[in-house]
Amino acid sequence: MSHVRHAQMSRRSVLTAGLGAAAGLGLAACGSSEDPSGGGSSSGGGATVELTLALIPDPPGASEFYRAQMDAFEAANPGIRINIIENPGDQQLSAVELMFQQGNAPDIYRAQAAGFDRMYSRGWARSLEEFVTDDFRSRFPEGSLEPASSGLHRNGELYSIPLVWGKWSAMDLFVYNRSLLAASGFDAAPTTWGELEEIARAVTADGGGQVFGMAPEQASGIVRMSRQGVPYSIPGDGINLMTGEPDTANPTMIEAVELMRRMNAEGSLITGWESWDSSRSYTEFAAGSFAMYTAQSWHIAEIRNLNPDIEMGIVAVPVPDSGRASYTPITQQFDPLWSMSSETEHPEEAWLVLDFLASADFYRAYYEEFGTLTAMQSVWEDEIQANPDLSEVFGVAESTMQVVPNPKLASEGGATILNARAERPELRFTDSALESMIKNEDFAPKAAALDEQLRTFLDEIFATGDASVEDISFPDWDPLQPYDAAN
Amino acid sequence: MTARTRRTAAKRREHLWCYVLLLPLLVAFGGFTLWPIVASWWYSLFDWDGVGNPTEWVGLANFVEVLTAPDFWRAFWHTFLFSLVAILIELPLALAFAILLNNARLRGRNLYRLALFVPVVTTTAVVGIVFVALLDPVRGAVNEILLAVGLVDAPINFLGSTTTALPTLMGIDLWKGFGISLIYWLAALQTVPKDLIEAAQLDGARRASIVRHIMVPVMAPIAIVIMLLLFQRSLGTFDLVQAMTAGGPVYSTDVVPTYIYRYAFSPEMQAPRYGFACAAGVVFGLLTLVLTLLQAPALRYRKRVAV
Repeated sequence: MSHVRHAQMSRRSVLTAGLGAAAGLGLAACGSSEDPSGGGSSSGGGATVELTLALIPDPPGASEFYRAQMDAFEAANPGIRINIIENPGDQQLSAVELMFQQGNAPDIYRAQAAGFDRMYSRGWARSLEEFVTDDFRSRFPEGSLEPASSGLHRNGELYSIPLVWGKWSAMDLFVYNRSLLAASGFDAAPTTWGELEEIARAVTADGGGQVFGMAPEQASGIVRMSRQGVPYSIPGDGINLMTGEPDTANPTMIEAVELMRRMNAEGSLITGWESWDSSRSYTEFAAGSFAMYTAQSWHIAEIRNLNPDIEMGIVAVPVPDSGRASYTPITQQFDPLWSMSSETEHPEEAWLVLDFLASADFYRAYYEEFGTLTAMQSVWEDEIQANPDLSEVFGVAESTMQVVPNPKLASEGGATILNARAERPELRFTDSALESMIKNEDFAPKAAALDEQLRTFLDEIFATGDASVEDISFPDWDPLQPYDAAN
Repeated sequence: MTARTRRTAAKRREHLWCYVLLLPLLVAFGGFTLWPIVASWWYSLFDWDGVGNPTEWVGLANFVEVLTAPDFWRAFWHTFLFSLVAILIELPLALAFAILLNNARLRGRNLYRLALFVPVVTTTAVVGIVFVALLDPVRGAVNEILLAVGLVDAPINFLGSTTTALPTLMGIDLWKGFGISLIYWLAALQTVPKDLIEAAQLDGARRASIVRHIMVPVMAPIAIVIMLLLFQRSLGTFDLVQAMTAGGPVYSTDVVPTYIYRYAFSPEMQAPRYGFACAAGVVFGLLTLVLTLLQAPALRYRKRVAV
């Protein structure tokens, strides 16, 4: 009897202790959920307003840079405190979406390219139109903030603030190692696809298995190459905007892929490129592992940082042997980047931050820190002459980029079609082209199959009545001439 | 209160405590296992991008798309290959090593066991990243050694070739999980009565005969369980593939988990396709169940042997 009673007391004690612990955990959880440092905005003690800024800390060193800039902003605006939330580039959008769903949306967030449209379509971006002043407009080139072409407007209202020069993200650069080319007997970069193939073959032959002619930069490299020969929308979406028809099987498009396929088969492309991540191209180029590739603009500074003494040349991407047939597209004046949350409780204060992010001081600081041509051209246009790399970059951009039709901005139907196409990545040439290169298979039948699928895709959209072929047809457009939407 | 009533009440109190103590586990099971399964079934019936509540009902359209998608079946085939390697290579190889390492007279056997088990406790993502560096054709250690000793005259593109990428991953996966299989077999070997082995040895039985006629029959029930556990584990291979190749090049190493991940979370998607990804998950779960049920005869055999 005594033993039984003891057991009962022990169990009751355990239960009591357990319930107490559970209550304690519950109280702690309640306290934790109220902690503003986890995100969202709130008014702190006194008049201090706390804002959350969700961003991607790139390029390397951006984390420290943004914190320093926000510290400067806070010093100039004592009543505002900025909490920075950093997300990796490939997770930013999902992370911000999750914050919105959880009710702790950031006040300002970075959402670029299709990501911005995604956030806008969900109603999570707030119009900035009411805050725009003449002073703000004067920071950018005249006419660049026109709603129809800025890239930052939706339904005629400003929704996003840019970071980089309009051409910066879209430019196609071709970088080469002067020393490696010279060692193989070439004193200039290739200007045509045939010359590219010849030089790559020679450099590889002289490289002894250690140095290669080129890195393809995955499918992006094919895009940059091919759109010197076909309308940009063909490698972009599989649709020829001159006709409104699927055109992946365009002869020049096939020629571009076949070029890469041949070069890969004969070993001119660096071994292992197939499994590279996004940083390997510029790190290996800086290391002298290969001689040439089509680079993104931000790679230039990274290469120079990795190898200050590299004899790097920056030129236009080679064109088809038959000559240039198209230009790198300027689809809009700017790429959207910074947005204000539609759920912010402090829009005026959030605008102050956005205005700061679009200020001359910020743009100049970003340019000086990272070598990026920022959205406010006036802060760097007189200085780039002293920077050989940026001078070449600017020159290439100015000579190889032209305004093109942008169906997304031209009509709702165009936006419907292209947004829907973007949700079907399997319809793009990318996987088929890489498969042709890696497996050494003919690209033409794959391209034809893609066009059939695209045909079905377009017919389905047209059948809904939400769009028509006219939304993606610009028959008067000459890819060799700047497109004038007004006409 | 009668004695019977008191005993019944005592049992109820005892059982109540069992349920109370099991409650946290049941809650966790419900929240992290049962609910996701049920939710997947529900979401798979919608065209949903994961934001807000699913509203666009599509019925079985997602399932039709999954079942008719060549990419899904390719990924499933790769997943199945991982299982075949696990069953046909890892399982018997681990048994052989276990028999060797179970020999009390083997010097340093604990060190060997440790060496074989260490990969199990390392983080798979880290293992993947390290192996990517080791296997890289440009300055990777493996190729440097192969070239230096003259075994090859050009770097091997282990992860960039569609013919070598999957076998490479399978080999690493085998190495990574080998320690678990080894532990299973070592545990199984402990169930073999030593007196039977000693008696057989006294009767002059050779090692091979002892393994065949004593160890294998005695361990058969556990062996079947080990096979099932290994099969289940290998079907879920994800982290190593995602860390090393993300299913590439051109999906030659794509497995169902990476396929599902791509449609649900990949940034290359304009918008996540949670509904479709859930449907793929459900189909995969059903296929796994079918494959497991195909092993029912082995389970029945286990019962007969156990008796």
